[in-house]
Amino acid sequence: MFNKILFATTASPTCDNAAKVAFDLELKWNAKLFVFHVLGVPTRGYSPFVTDARTGEEETVDPDYIDWVKEEMKNTYADLLEDSDAELCSAVGAPHREILRMARKENVDLIVMGAHTREEDVGATRHRAVVGSTMQKVAKAARCPVVIISRPCTTCWKLFSNIVIGTDFSKASYSAFLFAYKLAKEVGANLHIFHALDINDGRSGPPAAQEEIEAKIKAAREKIESAYVSKIKDFDKYTIDIWEGIPYVEILKFARDKGSDLIVMSHHTREIDPEKALLGSTVEQVVLRSACPVASVNKPDKVKDAV
Amino acid sequence: MPEGILCNKKTVDEKSQLDALLADKSGKQYYEEMNHLEVDSDALWAAIQKTCKSRIRTWLEICAHCGMCADSCFYYLANHKDPKQVPSYKIQSTLGELIRRKGKVDNAFMQMCMDTAYSKCSCCTRCGLYCPFGIDMGIMFGYLRGLLFSQGFVPWEMKIGTGMHRIFRAQMDITTEDWVETCEWMAEEYEEDWPGLTIPIDVQDADIIYTVNAREPKHYPEDLAEAAILFHVAGENWTVPSEGWEETSLAMFAGDWAACKMQVESVYAAMDRLKPKRMVVTECGHAYRATVIEGPYWAGLPSGQTPIESIHYVEWVAEALRTGKLKIDPAKKIKEPVTYQDSCNYIRNGGLADVAREIMGYIAEDFREMTPCREHNFCCGGGGGLNGIGRYRPERNIGLKVKRDQILATGAKLVVAPCHNCWDAIRDLEEVYKVGIRWSFLKPLLLNMIIVPDHLKPTEE
Repeated sequence: MFNKILFATTASPTCDNAAKVAFDLELKWNAKLFVFHVLGVPTRGYSPFVTDARTGEEETVDPDYIDWVKEEMKNTYADLLEDSDAELCSAVGAPHREILRMARKENVDLIVMGAHTREEDVGATRHRAVVGSTMQKVAKAARCPVVIISRPCTTCWKLFSNIVIGTDFSKASYSAFLFAYKLAKEVGANLHIFHALDINDGRSGPPAAQEEIEAKIKAAREKIESAYVSKIKDFDKYTIDIWEGIPYVEILKFARDKGSDLIVMSHHTREIDPEKALLGSTVEQVVLRSACPVASVNKPDKVKDAV
Repeated sequence: MPEGILCNKKTVDEKSQLDALLADKSGKQYYEEMNHLEVDSDALWAAIQKTCKSRIRTWLEICAHCGMCADSCFYYLANHKDPKQVPSYKIQSTLGELIRRKGKVDNAFMQMCMDTAYSKCSCCTRCGLYCPFGIDMGIMFGYLRGLLFSQGFVPWEMKIGTGMHRIFRAQMDITTEDWVETCEWMAEEYEEDWPGLTIPIDVQDADIIYTVNAREPKHYPEDLAEAAILFHVAGENWTVPSEGWEETSLAMFAGDWAACKMQVESVYAAMDRLKPKRMVVTECGHAYRATVIEGPYWAGLPSGQTPIESIHYVEWVAEALRTGKLKIDPAKKIKEPVTYQDSCNYIRNGGLADVAREIMGYIAEDFREMTPCREHNFCCGGGGGLNGIGRYRPERNIGLKVKRDQILATGAKLVVAPCHNCWDAIRDLEEVYKVGIRWSFLKPLLLNMIIVPDHLKPTEE
C-alpha cells in the first residue's frame, strides 16, 4: 500500500511524534522513506537570503549551511536512522511548495507531517501561521494521502483496530473513504463510517426541529449506504453512524468513543486566503485536537484501486 | 595576484564557474580576491572614451553643485542628511573623478566606486526629477556599474546573477524542462477548482504572450497559477513561451551589458517565433524596464520599441477591469485603508501612475496616497539589486526607513506592491522595524474579489 513515503519535517521536536510513525511505516511496509526538510523560505525578489524555517532567522544558503542542516537532521534522527534506509533530503523554498514538488517528483504514496502546534518551534506568530498553513496547503493540493500527527501515536499501523472515516459527502470525501477502506481491509481494522450533521450550518433563528434533524440523519444514512457501503466487498467490519452537532466536536467525540487509531477526512476548502481557511476548516480543528493521527485525502490518484 | 579565481574580469559563462562562486560562503574568498584585483587603466580609459557619450559628459560638466538633488535622495534623508549622500557629490566623486583621472585609478578607488554605486544609489532616478538641469544620477550610476563590472568590481551576488542569465537565460537555474514542467504542474494543481484551466505553452498567434520573473517558477509557482486563473476568467487567448519567458535582468543591475542583450534577445526571439499580438509582463518593476524600455536599445532595434506592443501587468489589469473582462464584486472590495507602492521602474520610468490609480479605484474603498506619490514617490529601498547584496545589508536597512515612515503616515496597514523587489523591501522593512503592516501583489487580491461566472465554477456532485 505504501511503496514510497515522504516524511516532511521541521527537523525539530515538533515532528518527533510524526517521525516515529514515519520510520515505523518504512519498516513495516518495507517502503522507501524520504526524510525531507525545507531549509528556508526565499524572498520574492532576487536575494541569496532565506528565512530559516526553524528559527525564523535570516540565513544565506550555501553548501556549508545545507551540510550543517543535514548534519543536524542526522543527529536529530540518529536513533531512528539506525534501523532505517531513509534518504535525507532538503530544499530551499516555501515549505508547502517544496513538499508538494518532492511528492510529485517521487510520486510518493503517503506524506507524513507533524502538526506544527508546539510553542517552542516558533518564535513569532507570523512564523506559526507559515507552518500551520503549510499543513493546510499540502493537505489541499497533494495527490496522495497526507497523515498529520500531533500527539504520540504508539500503535503500529499494522495493528490498527479502529479507523474512522468522517465524510461530508463531497467528491473529495469519497477518496477519503477509499483510503480508509483500503487500509482497514489491509490491516484488518474496523471501519467506522461517520457523518456529522452540522446543526449550525450558517443558519440563524431557532434551532432546527427534531423531526427535521432526524429526517436529515435518515437521509445521510441512506447516502452512506448507497455511496459507500455499496462499494464494500468481502469486508463486514464496518459501522455507520451519524451524529448531529458541530462537526469537528462530533468527530472527535466519536473517535474517542470508538478508540480510533486513525481519523480519515477530506480537506477541500476553496478558500484562497490561508489565514481565513485556517480558522474555518473542520479538518484543521480535528488535527489540532485529535489524540490519534489524522489522514487527509482529497484526490483519487492513490486510492482508486481500492474498489 | 592581478586576477582572482573567483573575482576577476572574466564573465561567468560556464556552470563550473557559477558553482565555484555559489560555493564561496557570502563571497568571502571573492571579496578577499577583490582586494588584489588589478585595475586595467588603459582598458578602462578606452571603454570610457568609447562609451561615455555627450549626455553623461555634459551632465558631469554642467552640474552647478546647487544641492537641489540632496533632498530628493532617500539615502540622504535616511542618513541624517549626510553631505556624502548628496547625489551630485556621489557621482562627481566616483564617475566624475574616474574621468578626470583618465582611468588612472587604483584598487581602493574602484572599491569605493563599487560601494557607492551599490550601497548609496538604487538607480531610482528620482534625483533627475529635481535637478534644474535634469541631470540624472541614477542613469549615471547605472553607467558606472557597467565600467566597474568590466573591471571585475561587482558585488558577489551580482556576478552570480549575470552568470545565471548567461547560462540559463534566467536569473535562476531553471531549464526549459523545469519551466514547462512547472506550467503543467500548476495547471494540474488548480484545474479541479478551475475547470478548463490550462497554461498554454508555445501557442502561435495568441493575443497575449505572458512572461515572468524566474523566482515565480522557481519558488512561487502559485503566482503563475494565479495569472493563469485571471487570464482564464477574463477569457484571454494567451500563451507562455517555452523559451524566452524570463523578463528580469540582474545583468542590468550588474552592468553586464552583453548579458543584458542576450537576455532580452531571448524574449524577442519568442515574440518573433510565436507572433503574439501583445506581451504582458508579470508584476515586476525592473523586468519591465529591462525588457520593455531599455531592452530594444540593448538589442539594437532601430525602432527603440519591443518587436510587439509590450505592457506591464498593471496595464492589463486596468484594461481588464475597464472593459469588464474582470468584474469586481463590490461587497469584496478592500474596505480597510490601503496604499500603493509606486515602483520606480514602471511608474517614474514607465509613466504608469494613472494606470495604478485606476486599478485602486476599482478595488479599494479607502485608497490612501503616500506622500510624495506617483512619479515623485521614493524607492522602496530595495531597488537596483540592493535587496540581494549581503555586503550592503546594513546600508539597505537604513534606507528602508524612508518607505517605512511614508507607509505609516498613510495610516494604511495594507500595501499593494506589484513589483517583486518592492514586495521584498516592504516585507523586509516589516521584519526589521516591526510596524505591523501587510503587503501583497495584485493577483491574490484580485482572485479574492472578482466575480466568477457560473460556467467557470467547478461542479460538485
